[in-house]
Amino acid sequence: MQVIQLQDVTRVYKIGEVETHALRGVTLTVETGEFSALVGPSGSGKTTMLQLMGCLDRPTSGSVYVNDQDVTRLKPNQRADLRKGTIGFVFQFFALIPGLTAYENVELPLLLTGEKSKARRERVHELLEAVGLADRARHRPDQMSGGEQQRVAIARALATRPLLILADEPTANLDTDNGRQVMEIMQRLNAETGTTFVFATHDPRVVSFARRVIELRDGRVTENNQHA
Amino acid sequence: MFRLWKIAYRDLGRNRRRSVLTMAAVALGLALVLVLASLSRGAIEAALKNSIRLDTGHVQVRAASYDAEKVSLAWEDLLDDPQEFAARAQALEGVVAASPVLWASGILETRDQTISVKVVGIDPLSEAYAPFREGLVAGKFLAPDDRSGLLVGQRLAHNLGLAVGGRVSLLANTADGQPDEAVFAIRGLYDTGIPYYDETTVFLPLAKAQAFTRTAGRASAIFILARHKEATETIAEALRAPGLNVLTWRDLNEIMLQASAMSASILNLMNLVVLAVVAIVIANTLLMSVFERTREMGILAALGMKGRQILLMVLLEAGMLGLAGIVLGLLVGGLSVAYFATAGLYVGAEVTSTATSAILAYGDTIYARFSLPDAASSAIAALAITLLASLYPAWLAARMEPIEALRAL
Repeated sequence: MQVIQLQDVTRVYKIGEVETHALRGVTLTVETGEFSALVGPSGSGKTTMLQLMGCLDRPTSGSVYVNDQDVTRLKPNQRADLRKGTIGFVFQFFALIPGLTAYENVELPLLLTGEKSKARRERVHELLEAVGLADRARHRPDQMSGGEQQRVAIARALATRPLLILADEPTANLDTDNGRQVMEIMQRLNAETGTTFVFATHDPRVVSFARRVIELRDGRVTENNQHA
Repeated sequence: MFRLWKIAYRDLGRNRRRSVLTMAAVALGLALVLVLASLSRGAIEAALKNSIRLDTGHVQVRAASYDAEKVSLAWEDLLDDPQEFAARAQALEGVVAASPVLWASGILETRDQTISVKVVGIDPLSEAYAPFREGLVAGKFLAPDDRSGLLVGQRLAHNLGLAVGGRVSLLANTADGQPDEAVFAIRGLYDTGIPYYDETTVFLPLAKAQAFTRTAGRASAIFILARHKEATETIAEALRAPGLNVLTWRDLNEIMLQASAMSASILNLMNLVVLAVVAIVIANTLLMSVFERTREMGILAALGMKGRQILLMVLLEAGMLGLAGIVLGLLVGGLSVAYFATAGLYVGAEVTSTATSAILAYGDTIYARFSLPDAASSAIAALAITLLASLYPAWLAARMEPIEALRAL
């Protein structure tokens, strides 16, 4: 089953008089349960592609389908609704809300989907357990290491049991050990839950975790390898 | 159920110092507005009460041709047979006291000073002059048949260096337009607490005043005190007759009421300025908070929060800050008002004995007067202004594009 389908997608940014072509006619399909790396040098269009897949942005031309639904022309509120239950994000910077504890950060998407208190509590504990941070539930981001914060971010991304998790350079700000740990957790959760993961990276060690590698160069897909 | 308020509440805890300072600004602003409004209300109500009690009464009946400005003593401008009229008024429902009064303008002379005064001829036994009788601080009150006694304010006596038993020369206008002069003994000194009256008014028994001014048993007016202000119109209506001018406390205190209305609108303007300053503080706090949290807004949007939810979240933050500030402000303001209502705010006799007191009969101490509708409307205004001030920051936060917001580092 297709989670994401991009059909001849272009994205042009216009800054003043200058036009930047971030994506040039990309057609791509992501299937359920994939664990895929999006690779390419800086400026190749990785982040733009993740933002389009994540319904954070709209293509200049072409169509984006999420779970067989054409999301290209959805209004901002409809896109927000879609993101809420279907897509989880892990960002390069450890995008936790500073004043909230690890527990509260993971709880946030569940508050947004209106989950009941008991179900919320159970889910948050389950996820913190899954990322090995059950004992850090009451810690705020500034009391945790980068690796721990990123694991909380992964737990948060998984909170609403989304179909798809998009991670933009999830290990870029982590040392080798923490980076590996984060990737192992993502890999395990992918295997255990069947959640689709697409992560952008240009770290070869991270790429080695992927079962599929999609290579981007100058806004075009140049390689589309299936590893396993 | 989606609980935005929970997120908003947690946001407030993140920069506690800023939240507390903003809340304090709301609280202080509201407390200030409450105290100012209560002091103003207290001053105005007391001034009106004093004016009615000591000067105008609730109703006055005068001859239609009487000109208060000129303090006329011409027979045709006075009431004939005032005792009979007063007795009739006294019998009316709701009347506490009805008493003839004669006014003349005079000059009090000692060896080295002269001072112009309002000479008031009164029935010393009438209930209408209870405030002066109760305010007696030295000597004794006038007797109806006293032919040479004078009751003066303590402040006036002090200014002229007079004491009980002392003698003073009084020059007054008379019915035929020629002034007359006589020497009187100071029988007693009174203190009403209203410096303006105490410095400008001297009392004679009515009979002596009538004889002195050659008005032959006539009076300038019938002075009527009602049990309640509300009874005024009924009493006035019952006394209206051709050739008579029946005035109520509203007519007699018109300038004071106008001055009160004006001071109320000036106060409203001041309140508005105070609340506008509070609004700027809130808008500034929230703007800073929104700008600092641009990336967070992006994260929240990425997690699926809608623009209007982000707007609502910022408004909720402002609302909580506002409400906490209002509760604190009501507490601080309420306690301050309670203090000023009992201890009063001493403004000094020098302030209140000046010419303005001729319009507003202030005592030397202003007692705050709490009003629930005032407090409620101030609190609502404070909340409304808080929310209004937060609209712009909230709107800014709501219209951020997620990808733009996420880019901010």
